[in-house]
Amino acid sequence: MRCGFSILSLIVGLTAGSLRAQVVIEGTVQLPKPSFDRGLNQRYATAPDIALAPTNPPAAVVYLEGDFRAQAASAQKSQAQVAQKNVAFAPDLLPILVGTAVEFPNMDETYHNVFSYSKIKRFDLGRYRKDEKPSVVVFDKPGAVTIHCEIHERMRGTILVLETPYFQKTDTAGRYRLEHLPPGNYVLKAWVAGDDVRQRPVELKTGMTLHVDFPAK
Amino acid sequence: MPPSSPIPFRNCRWLALAFALVVTARADFLEKVHDSLSLNDSQDRFHFQLSGLVDLETYFIDQPAPGLIFSSRNFLLNPRLRLFLDAQIGSNIYLFAQTRVDRGFDPSDDGAQIRLDEYFIRYSPAKNINIQIGQFATVVGNWVQRHDSWQNPFINAPLPYENLTGIWDTGAPDETDELLEWGHVGEYDTRDYSDKYLRLPILWGPSYSTGAAISGSCGRFDYAAEMKNAALASRPESWNITQTGFEDPTFSGRLGFRPNEMWNLGLSASGGPYLRSNAVPDLPPGRGIGDYRELVLAQDLSFAWHHLQLWAEFYEARFEVPRIGNADTFSYYFEAKYKITSQLFGALRWNQQLFGTVRDEDHRSKWGNDIWRIDAALGYRFTDYLQAKLQYSFSRQETLRNGENLIAAQVTLKF
Repeated sequence: MRCGFSILSLIVGLTAGSLRAQVVIEGTVQLPKPSFDRGLNQRYATAPDIALAPTNPPAAVVYLEGDFRAQAASAQKSQAQVAQKNVAFAPDLLPILVGTAVEFPNMDETYHNVFSYSKIKRFDLGRYRKDEKPSVVVFDKPGAVTIHCEIHERMRGTILVLETPYFQKTDTAGRYRLEHLPPGNYVLKAWVAGDDVRQRPVELKTGMTLHVDFPAK
Repeated sequence: MPPSSPIPFRNCRWLALAFALVVTARADFLEKVHDSLSLNDSQDRFHFQLSGLVDLETYFIDQPAPGLIFSSRNFLLNPRLRLFLDAQIGSNIYLFAQTRVDRGFDPSDDGAQIRLDEYFIRYSPAKNINIQIGQFATVVGNWVQRHDSWQNPFINAPLPYENLTGIWDTGAPDETDELLEWGHVGEYDTRDYSDKYLRLPILWGPSYSTGAAISGSCGRFDYAAEMKNAALASRPESWNITQTGFEDPTFSGRLGFRPNEMWNLGLSASGGPYLRSNAVPDLPPGRGIGDYRELVLAQDLSFAWHHLQLWAEFYEARFEVPRIGNADTFSYYFEAKYKITSQLFGALRWNQQLFGTVRDEDHRSKWGNDIWRIDAALGYRFTDYLQAKLQYSFSRQETLRNGENLIAAQVTLKF
């Protein structure tokens, strides 16, 4: 009898899980125009002999905002990475869950000096070489952290620290697809750049696929 | 020494108000200002960026004012606006211009003036070749790359770039005694320092003279060579093409070597006439400006690792002086900057200049006063766009009984 009840519980649980897996939001974020690919012309210095990565096309981060602090706290946080490669950040936009550690390896044959003066995370990694152990920074407060290189002005990046485990970076066409979402009433947000954050209230029901586009402001 | 003048409190109030405004300026607002001052076409064929630095600078000075500070007062307020235009046209052409509004190229009591201090066009026909023409900073040494108020850990320049010698560019001494008088050496020091602007340092700041340069890098080597209209010691008025032509050009060059990312070593040399045309009547018969050159050999090194940066430069300079011969001087400095936290940094610099001797009737006399100076500075970056620095300097010259103090503060807003 006890065995039969356990099997029934398992079936109900699996069914609920598969239904939850079917809650999907997809759509497109209208992205800004690509920025000009800045060279390395420095006023008083000779440019280093390094191939430059082209400026990355714009992208956005779409995330579901709600009270997910419990899920965020219990979620497994893998270490993320922002490399400095060909005098650019790779990736130059990184969404992470709050509490995630990010390492900053230098893949170039020249120095970089990654720093941020953003209020939610201020740090300066100093100058370090390619073969040195990369510095690791833990991002423990939510918000957008702008990162720069003190030596190369063309390098700019953003680490978007989120309190929700439900987020995705769009592709270069602005398309996104969030899956395995919990039913309920939330706000769906698209972080595009700086204070360009677009939002829509959403009501998610089990089994639905919602289409939400974010046109330009 | 002139009596101390009271601090002009009206200026202080103005300074405090300006400081409050910049402190409250939000970083994201200034980032938007920076972005809104850029222009590029839809096909990415060109990109123009207008940017700037606003400096609010104060000096508390012992008289006579040291280096290239031109003030007879003990307090000097020196606001400065720099506007920069960076333009990239295609991948081969880069243009740069710098305009300043201030009280003179160097800190002074003068009224406001506006100048176009730098402008050049750089053409890069191949990966490791850059050719540029215009009015621009010298390729000699390693200080130029950090000479603006945002990059410089200090408020003033290292000693070789601002300590004045007894060499004038507007006249030539009739005899050695006159050169020693111009250098205020020992018993020749009249305590009248009104001749200050006539005297020359080894290098006058970044030496924005006019000319052409070729530069590039090849593996771990960097090279740069330039032909300019004025010597390294020449004053700002000589830099402009309308003031000084290319009849007697100055040639300079630097060869750099980077054994790894940490170290950067350089050897520089420069040679060219330092006298201006109004010195011609003072010259011996049959001689011209081109016969009297400033010759400079320089070695520079820099080191960087994590939060520490070190720089050093060594300058051996020779002025060929009419009727007297060679006047040699040696100057060097060591400079260190350390980031104490992500926003706070400290810097220390030791500077020294030593003078050689010149022929003086039947013996030889030292032609300048040996001097040493120590500079200490603290800086704080509030945001990517706002920085404050405080500096204390103590210098001691061999003929002055007491050392000289300088306290300086600077707030820089970048946009």
